[in-house]
Amino acid sequence: MAENNRTNDTELLRVGFFLGCVIPTEQYAYELSLRKLMPRLGVELVDLEGFSCCGAPLRSINQNLCKYLSIRNLAICSMAGVDILAPCPICHLALTEAKNLMTSQETSEESERYKTMLAEEGLEYKREITIYHTIDILHDVIGLDKIKENIVKPLGEVEFACHYGCHTIRPTDTGRPDSAEHPEKLENLLKLLGASSRTYPERLNCCGGPLILNLPDSALTKTGQKLKAVQDRGFAGLVDVCPWGHRLLDTRQKNAADTIGEKLDVPVFYLTQLIGLALGIKPEELGLNLNLSPINRIEALNLGGDKVPAAANEPMPGETTEITADTEHQGCD
Amino acid sequence: MSITDLTSMTMPEKENKARIKKMLTKLQEDIPEFCFQCGKCTSGCEAMKLLELEPHKIMSMSKLGFIDELINSDIIWTCITCYKCKERCPQRVAPVEVLYSIKNIAIASGKQVPGEYSNILQSVLVSGLIQAVKEVRTRDLEAKNRDQLGLPPAPAPKDPAKFQQVLMKAATETLG
Repeated sequence: MAENNRTNDTELLRVGFFLGCVIPTEQYAYELSLRKLMPRLGVELVDLEGFSCCGAPLRSINQNLCKYLSIRNLAICSMAGVDILAPCPICHLALTEAKNLMTSQETSEESERYKTMLAEEGLEYKREITIYHTIDILHDVIGLDKIKENIVKPLGEVEFACHYGCHTIRPTDTGRPDSAEHPEKLENLLKLLGASSRTYPERLNCCGGPLILNLPDSALTKTGQKLKAVQDRGFAGLVDVCPWGHRLLDTRQKNAADTIGEKLDVPVFYLTQLIGLALGIKPEELGLNLNLSPINRIEALNLGGDKVPAAANEPMPGETTEITADTEHQGCD
Repeated sequence: MSITDLTSMTMPEKENKARIKKMLTKLQEDIPEFCFQCGKCTSGCEAMKLLELEPHKIMSMSKLGFIDELINSDIIWTCITCYKCKERCPQRVAPVEVLYSIKNIAIASGKQVPGEYSNILQSVLVSGLIQAVKEVRTRDLEAKNRDQLGLPPAPAPKDPAKFQQVLMKAATETLG
């Protein structure tokens, strides 16, 4: 662990708060809920100057670029003497791979090259740092006992479907926050809050997230299929931990419904929002007014009000406001 | 073109195949040589049913050197990067990684960049992030920006000009 991590008795950890791209530009609820939740549980989030994209969305274009972008963000944290919290699993995977590259003997020639590039930006990869995601910082670092002692408003008998997404659990070789084939940390955290969960056949299915960049209709089809499965299996709602996932599952649920030609009414929450509610934090402070899925349907959560936006959220880049189910099929021909 | 069309073409390309092999070896990724066509990757592939992506066929084509067809295809861009293939491959071959390398070569050889990829690259070079900071709408259809939500300014590189310079260099440097 980096040297500046423990500052006083009440504080467990100080971490560089690495938001990536999607969280600071549109998925504000995840950021809001983390900023409110983490200090309550003894984690100080440190905003560092100079962060950029982790590079993962550019991997298909140029892997060299992607690796440098991840390495520079790790360097910034290492210079500040803190570990890093990456709430976005795609960032977390990219950063972890970058760390492995800089650490491994096999890639020492590569790492020297990147160190030279860092120097041109006035940065230095001072030391190895620990890379956390929301799931492991809550479940393994803060721990279930500490979270439990802070619960003031258990969620009540609500059954949620857990959506781990892809990058939180794969590939195992890189080192991920939970198991690839049998993850359980999300379910453990939910049970702690008084809610319940159960496995379902589509639990490890992809939501289509990264595909939104070049095949948006296909991405929304994957999203719609996942939500339809959760709905058909009778869950009260879905919990996620990824901004690329949430921006489709919640923010663009209506677009997904239109794309697959089905009615979808699935309340979708960030895990941090639910934990925040159980800790007695106010819904607005957790960004719950930014969730566009029908979260008010869950009476046990007492979220009140009944306003669901009539129109879908802003269009994805490159798409028009209207998404129809019979949009031309994109893909191989 | 469909995967059936691709697999019915012949003429392996030794030079391009060697390039990919070198690229993968340099990036310490596992190379297609070890694939014995068990099909686990395609069974789990999230893009298979919807987009007809069959990773084991891509691996076979790579192994045999049919790189030009792959570079010119749309199929390589259907990978959702779910990493199920990498997770489940008994030979540690990782079709997802082979696909990244093929896509990189496609771009480097001047193929058109699909979808939003040009825009996000441009955005990263200029601002450090893949897209501009957005104003979002609440459930009550109110518009909110970061400031109104009480959030600090979005992250950005300290020296944007230097940042861009270093990135441009990284982007144009080939891996041999």
